[in-house]
Amino acid sequence: MGFVWSTALKDWRRHRRDPVALVLWLGIPVFVGGLISMASGGRSGPAPQAHVLVADEDNSFLSGLLVGAMSQDAMGGLIQAEQVDQDEGRARMAKGEATAMLVIPRGFAQAVLMEQPSTLELVTNPSQTILPAIVEESLSILVDAAFYLHRLIGDDLREFAAGPAGSTSVFSDMRFAGISVRINQLLVRLSGYLFPPIVQLERGAEETVEADDADTVSVALLFLPGILFMALLFMAQGLSIDLWKERDQKTLRRVVVSPQHVLLFLFGKLLSGLGLMFVVCLVALTAGYLYFGLAFATLPLAVVWTLLSGALLMTIMWLLQLYASSQHAGGILTMVVMFPLMMAGGSFFPFEAMPAWMAAIGKRTPNGWALEQLKAILLESVEAGPFSIALVALIVVASVLFFFGALRLRSNFAQG
Amino acid sequence: MIDVQGLRKQYGDLLAVDDVSFTAQPGAIFGLLGPNGAGKTTTIGCISGLLKPTAGRISLLGHDVATDGPASRRQLGVVPQELALYEDLSARENLLYWGSAYSMRGEPLNKRVQMVLELSGLLDRANEPVKKFSGGMKRRLNFACGIVHGPKALLLDEPTVGVDPQSRVRLLDLVREQTKQGTCVIYTTHYMEEAENLCDRLAIIDHGKIIATGTLAELRAILGERDVLRLTGLFDPTTVAEPLSRIDGIELVQAEQDMLTLAVANASGRLSDIFQALATAGAEVRETTLTQPSLESLFIKLTGKELRE
Repeated sequence: MGFVWSTALKDWRRHRRDPVALVLWLGIPVFVGGLISMASGGRSGPAPQAHVLVADEDNSFLSGLLVGAMSQDAMGGLIQAEQVDQDEGRARMAKGEATAMLVIPRGFAQAVLMEQPSTLELVTNPSQTILPAIVEESLSILVDAAFYLHRLIGDDLREFAAGPAGSTSVFSDMRFAGISVRINQLLVRLSGYLFPPIVQLERGAEETVEADDADTVSVALLFLPGILFMALLFMAQGLSIDLWKERDQKTLRRVVVSPQHVLLFLFGKLLSGLGLMFVVCLVALTAGYLYFGLAFATLPLAVVWTLLSGALLMTIMWLLQLYASSQHAGGILTMVVMFPLMMAGGSFFPFEAMPAWMAAIGKRTPNGWALEQLKAILLESVEAGPFSIALVALIVVASVLFFFGALRLRSNFAQG
Repeated sequence: MIDVQGLRKQYGDLLAVDDVSFTAQPGAIFGLLGPNGAGKTTTIGCISGLLKPTAGRISLLGHDVATDGPASRRQLGVVPQELALYEDLSARENLLYWGSAYSMRGEPLNKRVQMVLELSGLLDRANEPVKKFSGGMKRRLNFACGIVHGPKALLLDEPTVGVDPQSRVRLLDLVREQTKQGTCVIYTTHYMEEAENLCDRLAIIDHGKIIATGTLAELRAILGERDVLRLTGLFDPTTVAEPLSRIDGIELVQAEQDMLTLAVANASGRLSDIFQALATAGAEVRETTLTQPSLESLFIKLTGKELRE
């Protein structure tokens, strides 16, 4: 271990004397993260809100319920609904003045009550990506809710919509009370399903987070692991170039002709890189834990996981460099790999703000996958079983890549 | 002792080293003399374990390099042709690191580093970053890194290339110092005077093959007391040989259209005979170069060409 340690120490000394690289590795992610965070409102700014124009051509009880539901309670924080005439709405959408426009066609309520097909038209603003997706998702939930409501109290609603039988213009008190009691009994029966324990969990989370701006804190928290992994990727890429420096200054050859195995040399370099990453992780995560009021009990696990992920990213970058034909090619190759990994892997935008297909791809990238685990650690939602498997998989894959890197280094790269 | 037998190294169609054999003894300097691209560095690469030989056997202090690599390298020092230093570290930090690569630790390593710094004349600049050093100082440090662990065998691959005369003298003294301690040294160079001054035994290598080997005296004996005479001008290689052969003690080493190389005893006294013979063959001499018996003239005699830079 003596040579491993002295190699790590040697590299730390060299990195310390190149402060510009250190500043860049840390500065760029903080700068980019800061910009993105500010662009999305930051912690103290208002939460982004979708502006939805609603052209209600049905003007029925049910269409009114739909529009009302879109701008009430939790959805009200996300969506601001504005009733408009269809022509006016289309004109304003053409100017890009709103996130989306919902057209409720004439006969919508009747069609729903009579179980006839009916189409809601949602026009979205193509210049926005996240907010239209939120509107679409919200509307989809409401449509689903209407479907289940119809299944459960369809008869009563139909009766209510058809109006009182005979020549009277109002329901009798007994009839009205009967419908009300049936709906109430149904809601009591369903309350166990409609308000499951997960709702209580959300209330618990609200207590730990500052009361006035819970949603924006969560959004800002989502950026923390992304920025941290961006820093790790920058560091891994920057540190991987050092293999070329060792080769060009012929010190790599000196190592190869020494009695030490290149595995030890490479391990020393890995240790040195992890040392730098440790400082970055500890500072960034401690600051994040303090800022977001997270439970410090998970901090050690978060640091260990992030460091192991850093090791994986370093071995990936090393392999790319070792198979590149020149330092220039290696630099380009690692950059070409690094930036898409950052983009898709949740460093620029959280997965929660991505289209579903892109998030699905991103979560399958090495950094995206590791980032999801870190997020689970931060939010205390990590499960011991799957996490242990992920930990073992991470160590195994990093070790295999490390071993192949050492082989390539000894058999080919060092002789160049 | 370093024993190389039947060493061969091939890169695709290129045969870089072809059946090279020699033995270097402890306490002596064995020189590998040859032009650039002759195969010297490849030979050193194979001995040091950097390159895998295509064929042949190398024994380093009793250890087979192919089968017992780490053990053979433990007592081996290598001073590469190009500087192999961390320029952003100090001289002391470089030496400490390379000492640790040979499992040296703590006080013994510190003492050895101090000694080597003193020996190489770098003690007063020991804590400065190497990037501030002159070329000669870097060369000395490069050498010092190769001997910091006190090796019993030392491979020096053209260690004086690009070095100022003062640093060169100092470096050569350092090499002699190593042999006094019983170190077995292999020294590659393309500087004739360096080889003549430094080496106890020599092998002349060209195009991957050893073309002559022995002590300096043995190699000079190959030439006899003959000078090497090189004539440039216009010659017909097919017609010049016959009139020259009539002059006693002349050997036509090489004949080309624009150059003749002759080995001649007492050449300066026989120039008129040579010019006359060439005139009868219709040759036109424009320039004459006479070289006294030396490694240079031996190399010319053996290869028909000068040692190139």
